[in-house]
Amino acid sequence: MKLDGINIKTGIGIISLIPAFLIPLIFGINQYLLTVLIITLVFIIYSSAWNLLALSGQASLGHAAFFGIGGYVSAIVANTFGMPPIAAIPVGGLFATFIGVLIGFTCIRMREWFLAMVTFGFAIIAHTITTELSWLTGGWDGIPAKRLIPVTITNYIIYEYYIMLLIAVVVVVIIHLIKKSRMGLAMEAIRENELEAKVMGINVTKYKLMAFAVSAFFTGIAGALEIHHFGYITPEVYGMDISFWPIIYSISGGLFTVGGPILGTIVITFIWEVLRTFGLMYERFILIGVILVLIVIFLPKGLVSVPEKIKSRLRRF
Amino acid sequence: MSPGVRNFLFFYFLFKTMDLGVLIQILVWGLYAGCIYILLAIGLNLIFGVMKVVNFAHGELLMLGAYAAFWIYTLSGVNPYLIITLAMILLGIIGVFIERLCFRPIMGTGKLNEIFLSLGLIYLFQNLVALLWTTDSRSIHSPYSGVSVSIGSIRLPLDYIIIILFTIVFLIAFQLFMKRTTLGRAMRATSQNRDAAALMGIHVERMDMLSFALGSALAAAAGGLWLISGQIADPYMGSIPAIKAFAVIIIGGLGSIPGAIVAGLTLGIAENVVPLFMQSFVGLLGVSMSFTAWKDTIAFFILIIVLVIRPTGIFGEKGE
Repeated sequence: MKLDGINIKTGIGIISLIPAFLIPLIFGINQYLLTVLIITLVFIIYSSAWNLLALSGQASLGHAAFFGIGGYVSAIVANTFGMPPIAAIPVGGLFATFIGVLIGFTCIRMREWFLAMVTFGFAIIAHTITTELSWLTGGWDGIPAKRLIPVTITNYIIYEYYIMLLIAVVVVVIIHLIKKSRMGLAMEAIRENELEAKVMGINVTKYKLMAFAVSAFFTGIAGALEIHHFGYITPEVYGMDISFWPIIYSISGGLFTVGGPILGTIVITFIWEVLRTFGLMYERFILIGVILVLIVIFLPKGLVSVPEKIKSRLRRF
Repeated sequence: MSPGVRNFLFFYFLFKTMDLGVLIQILVWGLYAGCIYILLAIGLNLIFGVMKVVNFAHGELLMLGAYAAFWIYTLSGVNPYLIITLAMILLGIIGVFIERLCFRPIMGTGKLNEIFLSLGLIYLFQNLVALLWTTDSRSIHSPYSGVSVSIGSIRLPLDYIIIILFTIVFLIAFQLFMKRTTLGRAMRATSQNRDAAALMGIHVERMDMLSFALGSALAAAAGGLWLISGQIADPYMGSIPAIKAFAVIIIGGLGSIPGAIVAGLTLGIAENVVPLFMQSFVGLLGVSMSFTAWKDTIAFFILIIVLVIRPTGIFGEKGE
């Protein structure tokens, strides 16, 4: 019996949801485990959003700008208007989209390195603006944010986990649909050869901006989800680390694929947490750096390409 | 009152509110900061010219250079300006290893890979140094730290003047090496046309190695000078100067050395003068506000403005 390749992948995706759904039921209310899983889900959304922008050939080194803007706007809106976080989160996402389109406008004509530097710069500018507007953002101390589910509710963390899981699944499905649509194909064409894409009648400016908008929206959502989980936000969300994590996750999982960021986030988070139990600090980062270098050199298509590699190895025998 | 007169009066009062002595002090500070950026930017430019690779981890080489200088100085206690030479040699060797082990395997596989590989190197070096020397900030006590030169009523620290002179000497030596020696000519040939250079019998891969070694050594010089001038070293010190060096080479044009010098000095001065200028500007409007927090963002504002107007940089002609 032969199955279509796409169906197998979709099947793997659906089957892998079952353990994600069952984990809280098997392990009970394990605060540590659920917190790690919630952050993993947030970063799955974030990495997928980053990967979508990379799909159009634009590798941003400053996605923390959108992550932080989404978080801050959502927290401020929820605090000032007394809105429930779940209603404020899309506002944060939309504001991040707005900023994303503005940044996208400046980046459209730039080549890879310039774009990387300029996006990096935008994260630092966003950091400075946030700390300077201390009447609104609380400066370096940050501001409190409402919890997604109030802590007073018993087992609130389980509800949070399922909400996050639902949002992550929806986002991944949307990104999968975008990738399959005309927009996704256009973005891939632009990445492979911008000039040829233009010749084929693809509106390069439009699709590059759309990539920025969609990516910034989901990144803003991810940022808002994270801060409404932690209950506070400080300018640290603009840190270099926050910009680099989705890149590390996406590369180790597999660039330009839907499954890559998901697999990468899970595997790297697992390694990270295991190393934490050994009490390692800097060694963890060193290891992540070494993993990144090795993957770029020896496994440029990421972990999702491992089965194919093994298959082609076996065929040789 | 005509608009011209009004503008003149406006700027007259604007400058009057700024102290001239402070302005000159800040200009010299900017000149010295510009020297650090130039040393970094020229190393980056060299590597880009020969290999067509952008090393985003260049700031980490500056950091390693500063730590090498600190380490040798603490162990030996010799004049720190002499130690910089040793730090440069050490970093040159490290640069060769980075080129051989990391950048050569991925050459020609796409520009995104270079960015991602550099990110890995940034993590690796920052945390390796944090592991070996902890994250405490380190400093070198310069033998001339209290000494200053008086010109009229203005007092300039001797260290800054030495650093500016050092940079000029480095630049002249570098230029002579590139223009007058066989090796320098071979490197320039490689950067102009790699295939043709290879056909002419130039060992292009050796040129890659040499460019990386030289670039790393220049970064080490920048790091050492930065540390001697009274700045502190910590494992994360490299990122901001490196980004500014990128801004410098983008503004000055990739591969253009005169462009890098002009842009480096402009940036160094601008980021020190602009906050002061802004402060007296809003002071005229009756608002008391400090703009020193914006110092690091000025490079990006300049960078973004330049790139929006001219995506290849001001002096950049050939693009890639």
